Amino acid sequence: MGAGVLQLIHQLERIRFLIVLGLCLAGLHCSAQDTGDENHAGHVPLLSGGLGYVHNVNGGITSLEPQINPVLLVPFGSHVLLESRTEFFGFFEREHQTSGPFTGKVFKLVDYAQIDWLANTHLNVVAGRYLLPFGLYNERLAPIWIKNLQDPPITAAIGTRTSGSGDGVMLRGVAIQRPYYSVQYTANFSAFSNVNRLESARTAGGDMSIYLTPARLEIGTSYQRFLQKQEINNAAAYVSWQPRQTPVDLKAEYDYCYNGKGYWIETAYLFEQLPAPAFFRRFQAVGRMQQFFPMHGGGNSLPTVNTQRFDFGLNYYIHDNLRLISSYGRNFSSLQNANVWNAGFTYRFSLPLWPERKK
Amino acid sequence: MAGKEEMSRYLAFISLLIFLLLGTLGAAALKRDASTVQKNRPAVTRNNTKEDGGQEVFEANCARCHTPPMSISPRTTGTVIMHMRMRARLSRHDEELLLKYMAP
Repeated sequence: MGAGVLQLIHQLERIRFLIVLGLCLAGLHCSAQDTGDENHAGHVPLLSGGLGYVHNVNGGITSLEPQINPVLLVPFGSHVLLESRTEFFGFFEREHQTSGPFTGKVFKLVDYAQIDWLANTHLNVVAGRYLLPFGLYNERLAPIWIKNLQDPPITAAIGTRTSGSGDGVMLRGVAIQRPYYSVQYTANFSAFSNVNRLESARTAGGDMSIYLTPARLEIGTSYQRFLQKQEINNAAAYVSWQPRQTPVDLKAEYDYCYNGKGYWIETAYLFEQLPAPAFFRRFQAVGRMQQFFPMHGGGNSLPTVNTQRFDFGLNYYIHDNLRLISSYGRNFSSLQNANVWNAGFTYRFSLPLWPERKK
Repeated sequence: MAGKEEMSRYLAFISLLIFLLLGTLGAAALKRDASTVQKNRPAVTRNNTKEDGGQEVFEANCARCHTPPMSISPRTTGTVIMHMRMRARLSRHDEELLLKYMAP
Protein backbone atom coordinates (compact mmCIF):
# COMPACT_ATOMS: atom_id res chain seq x y z
CA MET A 1 0.00 0.00 0.00
CA GLY A 2 2.74 2.44 1.08
CA ALA A 3 4.96 1.52 -1.88
CA GLY A 4 2.04 2.01 -4.26
CA VAL A 5 1.38 5.49 -2.90
CA LEU A 6 5.06 6.37 -3.21
CA GLN A 7 5.11 5.12 -6.80
CA LEU A 8 2.04 7.22 -7.57
CA ILE A 9 3.67 10.29 -6.02
CA HIS A 10 6.81 9.72 -8.13
CA GLN A 11 4.71 9.41 -11.26
CA LEU A 12 2.82 12.61 -10.43
CA GLU A 13 6.16 14.37 -9.85
CA ARG A 14 7.36 13.20 -13.28
CA ILE A 15 4.13 14.37 -14.93
CA ARG A 16 4.38 17.73 -13.20
CA PHE A 17 7.99 18.12 -14.33
CA LEU A 18 7.02 17.28 -17.92
CA ILE A 19 4.13 19.77 -17.84
CA VAL A 20 6.41 22.56 -16.53
CA LEU A 21 9.08 21.68 -19.12
CA GLY A 22 6.47 21.65 -21.88
CA LEU A 23 5.09 25.01 -20.79
CA CYS A 24 8.60 26.52 -20.75
CA LEU A 25 9.39 25.19 -24.23
CA ALA A 26 6.04 26.40 -25.55
CA GLY A 27 6.79 29.77 -24.00
CA LEU A 28 10.22 29.88 -25.60
CA HIS A 29 8.69 29.05 -28.97
CA CYS A 30 5.77 31.49 -28.72
CA SER A 31 7.87 34.30 -27.36
CA ALA A 32 10.44 34.02 -30.10
CA GLN A 33 7.79 34.88 -32.69
CA ASP A 34 7.37 38.35 -34.09
CA THR A 35 4.96 40.51 -32.17
CA GLY A 36 3.50 42.00 -35.31
CA ASP A 37 2.81 45.27 -33.47
CA GLU A 38 3.85 48.79 -34.40
CA ASN A 39 7.18 48.39 -32.62
CA HIS A 40 10.10 46.01 -32.83
CA ALA A 41 10.12 44.92 -29.23
CA GLY A 42 10.90 41.27 -28.82
CA HIS A 43 9.34 39.00 -26.22
CA VAL A 44 12.36 36.76 -25.74
CA PRO A 45 12.88 34.86 -22.45
CA LEU A 46 15.40 36.55 -20.27
CA LEU A 47 17.72 35.78 -17.37
CA SER A 48 18.23 39.01 -15.48
CA GLY A 49 18.97 40.05 -11.93
CA GLY A 50 21.61 41.47 -9.68
CA LEU A 51 24.76 40.35 -7.97
CA GLY A 52 27.10 42.01 -5.57
CA TYR A 53 29.38 41.87 -2.63
CA VAL A 54 29.12 43.80 0.63
CA HIS A 55 31.85 44.03 3.24
CA ASN A 56 30.02 44.87 6.45
CA VAL A 57 31.39 45.95 9.81
CA ASN A 58 28.72 46.24 12.50
CA GLY A 59 29.87 47.24 15.97
CA GLY A 60 33.39 46.00 15.21
CA ILE A 61 32.25 42.61 13.90
CA THR A 62 33.09 41.97 10.26
CA SER A 63 30.90 39.97 7.90
CA LEU A 64 31.37 39.19 4.22
CA GLU A 65 28.13 39.12 2.24
CA PRO A 66 28.24 38.04 -1.40
CA GLN A 67 24.93 37.46 -3.15
CA ILE A 68 23.36 36.78 -6.51
CA ASN A 69 19.64 37.09 -7.33
CA PRO A 70 18.84 35.66 -10.77
CA VAL A 71 15.46 36.61 -12.22
CA LEU A 72 13.95 34.36 -14.88
CA LEU A 73 11.34 35.87 -17.21
CA VAL A 74 9.49 33.65 -19.69
CA PRO A 75 6.68 35.35 -21.62
CA PHE A 76 3.90 33.38 -23.30
CA GLY A 77 2.77 35.86 -25.90
CA SER A 78 2.17 39.38 -24.64
CA HIS A 79 -0.36 38.65 -21.89
CA VAL A 80 1.12 35.84 -19.81
CA LEU A 81 4.44 35.97 -18.03
CA LEU A 82 6.22 33.40 -15.90
CA GLU A 83 8.70 35.08 -13.57
CA SER A 84 10.83 33.97 -10.67
CA ARG A 85 13.64 35.30 -8.51
CA THR A 86 15.94 33.15 -6.44
CA GLU A 87 18.27 34.51 -3.81
CA PHE A 88 21.68 33.02 -3.08
CA PHE A 89 23.00 34.92 -0.11
CA GLY A 90 26.29 34.21 1.62
CA PHE A 91 27.00 35.29 5.18
CA PHE A 92 30.51 34.74 6.53
CA GLU A 93 31.83 35.86 9.92
CA ARG A 94 35.00 35.21 11.88
CA GLU A 95 34.74 32.09 14.04
CA HIS A 96 35.04 34.07 17.28
CA GLN A 97 33.41 37.21 15.87
CA THR A 98 36.61 39.30 15.96
CA SER A 99 39.24 36.61 15.49
CA GLY A 100 39.72 33.31 13.75
CA PRO A 101 38.98 32.18 10.20
CA PHE A 102 35.84 33.21 8.36
CA THR A 103 33.05 30.66 8.45
CA GLY A 104 29.45 30.81 7.36
CA LYS A 105 26.95 29.49 4.90
CA VAL A 106 25.04 30.30 1.77
CA PHE A 107 21.28 30.75 2.11
CA LYS A 108 19.01 29.85 -0.77
CA LEU A 109 15.55 31.40 -0.99
CA VAL A 110 12.85 31.63 -3.62
CA ASP A 111 11.63 35.22 -3.46
CA TYR A 112 8.96 34.71 -6.07
CA ALA A 113 7.88 32.14 -8.64
CA GLN A 114 4.65 33.32 -10.16
CA ILE A 115 2.56 33.24 -13.28
CA ASP A 116 1.10 36.59 -14.33
CA TRP A 117 -1.91 37.14 -16.51
CA LEU A 118 -1.89 40.70 -17.78
CA ALA A 119 -5.59 40.81 -18.58
CA ASN A 120 -5.99 44.55 -19.07
CA THR A 121 -5.09 47.90 -17.54
CA HIS A 122 -7.36 47.40 -14.56
CA LEU A 123 -6.65 43.78 -13.75
CA ASN A 124 -3.53 41.67 -13.62
CA VAL A 125 -3.77 38.31 -11.92
CA VAL A 126 -0.82 36.72 -10.15
CA ALA A 127 -0.77 33.14 -8.91
CA GLY A 128 2.03 31.32 -7.14
CA ARG A 129 4.69 32.68 -4.85
CA TYR A 130 4.95 36.46 -4.88
CA LEU A 131 6.54 39.28 -2.90
CA LEU A 132 4.20 40.67 -0.27
CA PRO A 133 3.05 44.09 -1.47
CA PHE A 134 3.51 46.08 1.72
CA GLY A 135 5.03 49.57 1.79
CA LEU A 136 7.85 50.70 -0.46
CA TYR A 137 10.68 48.41 0.46
CA ASN A 138 9.85 44.72 0.04
CA GLU A 139 8.51 44.73 -3.49
CA ARG A 140 10.38 47.65 -5.01
CA LEU A 141 13.61 48.54 -3.28
CA ALA A 142 14.98 45.27 -1.90
CA PRO A 143 17.07 44.04 -4.90
CA ILE A 144 20.76 44.57 -4.28
CA TRP A 145 21.25 46.67 -7.43
CA ILE A 146 18.31 48.96 -6.61
CA LYS A 147 18.66 49.84 -2.94
CA ASN A 148 20.72 52.92 -2.22
CA LEU A 149 21.75 51.68 1.22
CA GLN A 150 22.39 47.99 1.67
CA ASP A 151 20.88 47.57 5.15
CA PRO A 152 17.07 47.41 5.09
CA PRO A 153 15.02 49.84 7.20
CA ILE A 154 14.29 48.66 10.75
CA THR A 155 10.57 48.51 9.97
CA ALA A 156 11.04 46.31 6.86
CA ALA A 157 9.85 43.35 8.94
CA ILE A 158 6.42 44.94 9.41
CA GLY A 159 3.85 43.54 6.99
CA THR A 160 6.28 41.05 5.46
CA ARG A 161 6.23 38.20 7.94
CA THR A 162 7.30 35.49 7.81
CA SER A 163 9.48 35.26 4.72
CA GLY A 164 8.71 38.44 2.76
CA SER A 165 6.75 36.32 0.28
CA GLY A 166 3.25 34.94 0.07
CA ASP A 167 1.93 31.76 -1.56
CA GLY A 168 -1.45 32.39 -3.11
CA VAL A 169 -3.20 34.85 -5.35
CA MET A 170 -2.76 38.56 -5.97
CA LEU A 171 -4.75 41.02 -8.05
CA ARG A 172 -3.18 44.30 -9.11
CA GLY A 173 -3.51 47.00 -11.66
CA VAL A 174 -4.44 50.59 -12.38
CA ALA A 175 -7.83 51.55 -10.95
CA ILE A 176 -7.98 55.00 -12.52
CA GLN A 177 -5.73 56.72 -15.02
CA ARG A 178 -6.09 60.38 -15.94
CA PRO A 179 -3.58 62.76 -17.55
CA TYR A 180 -2.62 64.26 -14.20
CA TYR A 181 -2.88 61.30 -11.86
CA SER A 182 -3.32 57.57 -11.63
CA VAL A 183 -4.47 55.26 -8.86
CA GLN A 184 -2.90 51.81 -8.48
CA TYR A 185 -4.07 48.98 -6.29
CA THR A 186 -3.00 45.54 -5.09
CA ALA A 187 -5.02 42.94 -3.19
CA ASN A 188 -3.55 39.64 -2.07
CA PHE A 189 -4.23 36.51 -0.10
CA SER A 190 -1.53 34.11 1.02
CA ALA A 191 -1.90 30.65 2.52
CA PHE A 192 0.30 29.15 5.20
CA SER A 193 3.19 27.07 3.89
CA ASN A 194 6.07 25.35 5.63
CA VAL A 195 7.52 23.81 2.47
CA ASN A 196 11.29 24.25 2.49
CA ARG A 197 12.29 27.55 0.80
CA LEU A 198 8.64 28.33 0.05
CA GLU A 199 7.62 29.31 3.56
CA SER A 200 4.80 31.80 3.92
CA ALA A 201 2.20 32.93 6.43
CA ARG A 202 -1.56 33.09 6.13
CA THR A 203 -2.24 36.73 5.41
CA ALA A 204 -4.59 39.00 3.53
CA GLY A 205 -3.88 42.56 2.56
CA GLY A 206 -3.63 45.23 -0.01
CA ASP A 207 -1.98 48.41 -1.14
CA MET A 208 -3.26 51.53 -2.84
CA SER A 209 -1.36 54.54 -4.09
CA ILE A 210 -1.99 57.68 -6.08
CA TYR A 211 0.66 58.96 -8.45
CA LEU A 212 0.53 62.65 -9.32
CA THR A 213 2.14 62.71 -12.75
CA PRO A 214 3.15 66.40 -13.12
CA ALA A 215 4.72 66.47 -9.67
CA ARG A 216 6.09 62.90 -9.91
CA LEU A 217 4.81 62.37 -6.41
CA GLU A 218 3.39 59.09 -5.15
CA ILE A 219 1.42 58.75 -1.93
CA GLY A 220 0.28 55.34 -0.81
CA THR A 221 -0.91 53.14 1.98
CA SER A 222 -0.74 49.41 2.74
CA TYR A 223 -2.70 47.17 5.04
CA GLN A 224 -2.23 43.56 6.02
CA ARG A 225 -4.03 41.22 8.38
CA PHE A 226 -1.81 38.48 9.76
CA LEU A 227 -4.11 35.47 10.12
CA GLN A 228 -2.01 32.98 12.06
CA LYS A 229 -2.02 32.28 15.79
CA GLN A 230 -2.26 35.84 17.08
CA GLU A 231 -4.14 37.76 14.41
CA ILE A 232 -2.68 41.24 14.09
CA ASN A 233 -3.03 44.24 11.80
CA ASN A 234 -0.13 45.87 9.96
CA ALA A 235 -0.39 49.25 8.29
CA ALA A 236 1.90 51.59 6.40
CA ALA A 237 1.77 54.99 4.75
CA TYR A 238 4.45 56.11 2.33
CA VAL A 239 5.52 58.83 -0.02
CA SER A 240 7.93 58.80 -2.95
CA TRP A 241 8.99 61.92 -4.85
CA GLN A 242 11.34 62.45 -7.78
CA PRO A 243 11.13 66.13 -8.79
CA ARG A 244 11.60 66.95 -12.46
CA GLN A 245 14.22 69.67 -12.08
CA THR A 246 16.70 67.88 -9.85
CA PRO A 247 17.83 64.23 -9.69
CA VAL A 248 16.66 63.86 -6.11
CA ASP A 249 14.90 60.73 -4.91
CA LEU A 250 12.97 61.19 -1.68
CA LYS A 251 11.22 58.29 -0.02
CA ALA A 252 9.60 58.03 3.38
CA GLU A 253 7.46 55.46 5.13
CA TYR A 254 5.61 55.09 8.42
CA ASP A 255 4.82 51.56 9.61
CA TYR A 256 2.65 50.34 12.43
CA CYS A 257 1.89 46.91 13.86
CA TYR A 258 1.17 45.19 17.17
CA ASN A 259 4.89 44.86 17.93
CA GLY A 260 5.83 48.46 17.30
CA LYS A 261 5.82 51.48 15.07
CA GLY A 262 8.46 53.45 13.27
CA TYR A 263 9.39 55.50 10.28
CA TRP A 264 12.25 56.05 7.86
CA ILE A 265 13.07 58.86 5.50
CA GLU A 266 15.65 58.52 2.75
CA THR A 267 17.04 61.05 0.32
CA ALA A 268 19.37 60.32 -2.58
CA TYR A 269 20.98 62.82 -4.89
CA LEU A 270 22.74 61.90 -8.12
CA PHE A 271 25.36 64.48 -9.02
CA GLU A 272 24.58 64.27 -12.75
CA GLN A 273 23.70 67.98 -12.97
CA LEU A 274 26.77 69.16 -11.11
CA PRO A 275 28.85 71.63 -13.17
CA ALA A 276 31.92 69.42 -12.81
CA PRO A 277 33.88 66.86 -14.86
CA ALA A 278 31.97 63.70 -15.86
CA PHE A 279 33.83 61.68 -13.23
CA PHE A 280 32.15 63.58 -10.40
CA ARG A 281 28.69 63.49 -11.98
CA ARG A 282 28.53 59.74 -11.44
CA PHE A 283 28.49 60.04 -7.64
CA GLN A 284 25.33 59.58 -5.61
CA ALA A 285 24.93 60.81 -2.04
CA VAL A 286 22.35 59.14 0.20
CA GLY A 287 21.06 59.96 3.67
CA ARG A 288 18.56 58.02 5.75
CA MET A 289 17.10 58.63 9.18
CA GLN A 290 14.87 56.18 11.02
CA GLN A 291 13.31 55.57 14.42
CA PHE A 292 11.51 52.61 15.89
CA PHE A 293 9.39 52.39 19.03
CA PRO A 294 8.49 48.87 20.20
CA MET A 295 5.08 48.06 21.63
CA HIS A 296 4.07 45.00 23.64
CA GLY A 297 7.73 44.10 23.98
CA GLY A 298 8.57 44.30 20.27
CA GLY A 299 9.94 41.14 18.68
CA ASN A 300 9.02 39.30 15.48
CA SER A 301 12.24 40.53 13.84
CA LEU A 302 11.76 44.00 15.34
CA PRO A 303 13.90 45.60 18.10
CA THR A 304 12.74 45.22 21.68
CA VAL A 305 13.94 48.68 22.73
CA ASN A 306 13.67 52.18 21.27
CA THR A 307 16.10 52.36 18.36
CA GLN A 308 17.29 55.22 16.21
CA ARG A 309 19.64 55.07 13.29
CA PHE A 310 21.05 57.29 10.60
CA ASP A 311 23.02 56.28 7.54
CA PHE A 312 25.04 58.26 5.07
CA GLY A 313 26.09 56.63 1.82
CA LEU A 314 28.21 57.49 -1.18
CA ASN A 315 27.76 55.41 -4.33
CA TYR A 316 29.59 55.67 -7.63
CA TYR A 317 28.03 54.57 -10.94
CA ILE A 318 30.79 53.21 -13.16
CA HIS A 319 28.00 52.34 -15.60
CA ASP A 320 24.24 52.27 -15.13
CA ASN A 321 24.61 48.54 -14.42
CA LEU A 322 27.69 48.64 -12.24
CA ARG A 323 28.27 50.73 -9.15
CA LEU A 324 30.51 50.93 -6.15
CA ILE A 325 28.73 51.34 -2.83
CA SER A 326 29.77 52.62 0.57
CA SER A 327 27.95 53.79 3.64
CA TYR A 328 28.37 54.68 7.27
CA GLY A 329 25.64 54.41 9.84
CA ARG A 330 25.24 54.86 13.55
CA ASN A 331 22.76 52.82 15.53
CA PHE A 332 21.44 54.15 18.85
CA SER A 333 19.63 51.99 21.36
CA SER A 334 19.75 51.34 25.07
CA LEU A 335 21.22 47.91 24.31
CA GLN A 336 24.12 49.11 22.21
CA ASN A 337 25.33 52.11 20.23
CA ALA A 338 27.22 50.89 17.21
CA ASN A 339 28.87 52.08 14.02
CA VAL A 340 27.88 50.25 10.86
CA TRP A 341 30.11 50.36 7.77
CA ASN A 342 29.36 48.90 4.35
CA ALA A 343 31.49 48.81 1.21
CA GLY A 344 31.25 46.78 -1.96
CA PHE A 345 29.78 46.72 -5.44
CA THR A 346 26.55 45.79 -7.21
CA TYR A 347 25.96 44.70 -10.78
CA ARG A 348 22.76 44.30 -12.78
CA PHE A 349 22.87 41.71 -15.55
CA SER A 350 20.58 40.72 -18.40
CA LEU A 351 21.01 37.70 -20.69
CA PRO A 352 18.54 36.86 -23.48
CA LEU A 353 17.77 33.13 -23.56
CA TRP A 354 16.90 32.90 -27.22
CA PRO A 355 19.16 33.64 -30.22
CA GLU A 356 18.50 36.67 -32.38
CA ARG A 357 16.34 36.03 -35.44
CA LYS A 358 18.27 36.26 -38.69
CA LYS A 359 16.86 38.84 -41.10
CA MET B 1 22.34 60.17 29.56
CA ALA B 2 25.67 60.46 27.75
CA GLY B 3 24.25 58.23 25.03
CA LYS B 4 21.29 60.57 24.54
CA GLU B 5 23.56 63.59 24.27
CA GLU B 6 25.75 61.79 21.77
CA MET B 7 22.70 60.77 19.77
CA SER B 8 21.38 64.34 19.75
CA ARG B 9 24.74 65.60 18.50
CA TYR B 10 24.81 63.03 15.72
CA LEU B 11 21.22 63.70 14.72
CA ALA B 12 21.76 67.44 14.65
CA PHE B 13 24.90 66.98 12.60
CA ILE B 14 23.37 64.65 10.05
CA SER B 15 20.21 66.77 9.71
CA LEU B 16 22.32 69.84 9.10
CA LEU B 17 24.42 67.94 6.58
CA ILE B 18 21.41 66.70 4.63
CA PHE B 19 19.69 70.10 4.55
CA LEU B 20 22.90 71.85 3.53
CA LEU B 21 23.55 69.30 0.81
CA LEU B 22 20.04 69.37 -0.58
CA GLY B 23 19.73 73.13 -0.29
CA THR B 24 22.99 73.78 -2.11
CA LEU B 25 22.43 71.22 -4.81
CA GLY B 26 18.80 72.15 -5.29
CA ALA B 27 19.63 75.83 -5.66
CA ALA B 28 22.45 75.05 -8.09
CA ALA B 29 20.25 72.78 -10.15
CA LEU B 30 17.34 75.25 -10.40
CA LYS B 31 19.66 77.81 -11.98
CA ARG B 32 20.35 75.56 -14.88
CA ASP B 33 18.09 75.80 -17.87
CA ALA B 34 16.36 72.87 -19.44
CA SER B 35 18.78 72.51 -22.32
CA THR B 36 21.76 72.19 -20.04
CA VAL B 37 19.91 69.67 -17.95
CA GLN B 38 19.12 67.59 -21.01
CA LYS B 39 22.71 67.79 -22.24
CA ASN B 40 24.15 66.49 -19.01
CA ARG B 41 21.77 63.61 -18.45
CA PRO B 42 23.01 60.05 -18.98
CA ALA B 43 22.86 58.98 -22.60
CA VAL B 44 19.43 57.34 -22.61
CA THR B 45 19.02 58.04 -26.30
CA ARG B 46 15.88 56.77 -27.96
CA ASN B 47 14.44 57.42 -31.36
CA ASN B 48 11.03 58.82 -30.52
CA THR B 49 10.21 62.39 -29.73
CA LYS B 50 9.03 63.66 -26.39
CA GLU B 51 5.57 64.30 -27.85
CA ASP B 52 4.98 60.57 -28.11
CA GLY B 53 4.78 60.36 -24.32
CA GLY B 54 7.05 57.34 -24.12
CA GLN B 55 9.95 59.33 -22.75
CA GLU B 56 7.76 60.83 -20.03
CA VAL B 57 6.48 57.39 -19.02
CA PHE B 58 10.03 56.03 -19.09
CA GLU B 59 11.54 58.79 -16.96
CA ALA B 60 8.66 58.99 -14.52
CA ASN B 61 8.13 55.30 -13.87
CA CYS B 62 11.61 53.74 -14.07
CA ALA B 63 13.13 56.40 -11.84
CA ARG B 64 10.54 55.80 -9.14
CA CYS B 65 12.59 52.81 -7.99
CA HIS B 66 15.93 52.68 -9.80
CA THR B 67 18.25 54.41 -12.23
CA PRO B 68 16.85 53.91 -15.73
CA PRO B 69 18.91 51.56 -17.89
CA MET B 70 20.94 53.15 -20.67
CA SER B 71 20.25 50.35 -23.10
CA ILE B 72 18.10 47.24 -23.38
CA SER B 73 18.38 44.76 -26.21
CA PRO B 74 15.33 45.26 -28.50
CA ARG B 75 14.60 41.55 -28.53
CA THR B 76 14.12 41.55 -24.76
CA THR B 77 12.35 44.91 -24.48
CA GLY B 78 8.87 43.39 -24.65
CA THR B 79 9.70 40.94 -21.86
CA VAL B 80 11.27 43.60 -19.65
CA ILE B 81 8.29 45.92 -20.08
CA MET B 82 5.82 43.11 -19.28
CA HIS B 83 7.82 42.52 -16.10
CA MET B 84 7.81 46.22 -15.27
CA ARG B 85 4.09 46.51 -16.02
CA MET B 86 3.52 44.01 -13.23
CA ARG B 87 6.05 45.48 -10.81
CA ALA B 88 5.23 49.15 -11.35
CA ARG B 89 1.51 48.61 -12.01
CA LEU B 90 1.62 50.34 -15.37
CA SER B 91 -1.44 50.67 -17.57
CA ARG B 92 -1.72 48.98 -20.97
CA HIS B 93 -1.48 52.43 -22.55
CA ASP B 94 1.80 53.17 -20.74
CA GLU B 95 3.15 49.79 -21.79
CA GLU B 96 2.42 50.59 -25.44
CA LEU B 97 4.08 54.00 -25.16
CA LEU B 98 7.15 52.43 -23.59
CA LEU B 99 7.36 49.78 -26.31
CA LYS B 100 7.20 52.42 -29.03
CA TYR B 101 9.76 54.55 -27.23
CA MET B 102 12.29 51.85 -26.40
CA ALA B 103 11.95 49.64 -29.47
CA PRO B 104 10.44 51.84 -32.21
